[in-house]
Amino acid sequence: EDAAEESNVSAELVAQRKRLVDEWNAWRIRCRDEMPAALRKKSGEGKKKQEEEEKEEIE
Amino acid sequence: MRPILLQGHERSLTQIKFNPEGDLLFSCSKDHVINVWFAHNGERLGTYDGHNGTVWSIDVDSQSRFMISGSADNTLRLWSIQDGKCLYKWEFPTAVKRVAFSEDDEQIVCVTEQRMGYQGAIRVFNINRDGDGTDQPKEPTSFFNPIGSKAVVCAFAQTPNLIITGHESGKIALFDAKTGDEVLNNERAHMDVVTDLQLSTDRSYFITSSKDKTARIHDTRTLMVIKTFTTETPLNSAALAPLKPYVLLGGGQDAMSVTTTSLRQGKFETRFWHKIFEEEVGRVKGHFGPVNTIAVSPRGDCYASGGEDGFVRVHHFDESYFRAKPYGDLEIED
Repeated sequence: EDAAEESNVSAELVAQRKRLVDEWNAWRIRCRDEMPAALRKKSGEGKKKQEEEEKEEIE
Repeated sequence: MRPILLQGHERSLTQIKFNPEGDLLFSCSKDHVINVWFAHNGERLGTYDGHNGTVWSIDVDSQSRFMISGSADNTLRLWSIQDGKCLYKWEFPTAVKRVAFSEDDEQIVCVTEQRMGYQGAIRVFNINRDGDGTDQPKEPTSFFNPIGSKAVVCAFAQTPNLIITGHESGKIALFDAKTGDEVLNNERAHMDVVTDLQLSTDRSYFITSSKDKTARIHDTRTLMVIKTFTTETPLNSAALAPLKPYVLLGGGQDAMSVTTTSLRQGKFETRFWHKIFEEEVGRVKGHFGPVNTIAVSPRGDCYASGGEDGFVRVHHFDESYFRAKPYGDLEIED
């Protein structure tokens, strides 16, 4: 919450943070792409199932 | 963020765990008891009685049907979550220090203590989910003794049949669950004993905490250190916050080495760090002794901490937590 007030950060710091986030995101996407096919399929199914369950709750 | 104080344990907390839906919170303690609470209001739903020693570790399956627990009474137990009954009991020569379910609920892994002429051991059991759960195989499907520094924490990795371990020396390793071979290790992952290990939702990375005052995020496949969070106190627990780029760290000097004033004032804190920038973003005070264990709800809407003081504190995040973007609008992958 306190950190939300922080607006006068230098351009350099902003660039540094952007770089860190880009690195992290690239790693996360690589992790997902390189996940063994069997696992990917399973987690895909899991997600679908979860979404369906959520929909049911809304009704 | 007003906390709910869960009073029901008479001694220090050792581990707390949410079920996957995030509606139930399980806690175990040195008082030999396991409790289950409603996460939303802190009401105690029930108690799992039977252990005759400190309950060191618990885990819940993905269906909230079975719970496992490991204790200083040298037993590993399987419980029915719904009716509180102990369904099966495995006995070993030494204390059970850590337990964990596999992602598919078909297996459990446990670490037993090295003591009295017995080496530290890792055992994997197949869980029979048919029937009422009381018919379980007595013998482990695999059993091995990691050589070198003893294992203290464990979990199943993302890939089937691989087990991640954290060791007394600070080592992190991957073991083949079938052969017991050490597949990969990072000897210098930490400089002191690893105190906690918690996986990301997809198990592709995990966070560890250590007495070396740091917490680290590691890539599950390579065991490379991705992020390091350096604090000024020995850490007992580290948790990943789903949906937000934060990690939660807890610890504190042992009660013996702390002034009585800070003990009395409830100054032991859960620290929030930015997962990507490795910067502290906030602290939540409250415990009257070191924070032993932290868990974040899989829904990401609340977290709980268990202390040396015997209390569990549940904090529901308020709206400002979800709105806050302390470092701008950058989109961060979970």
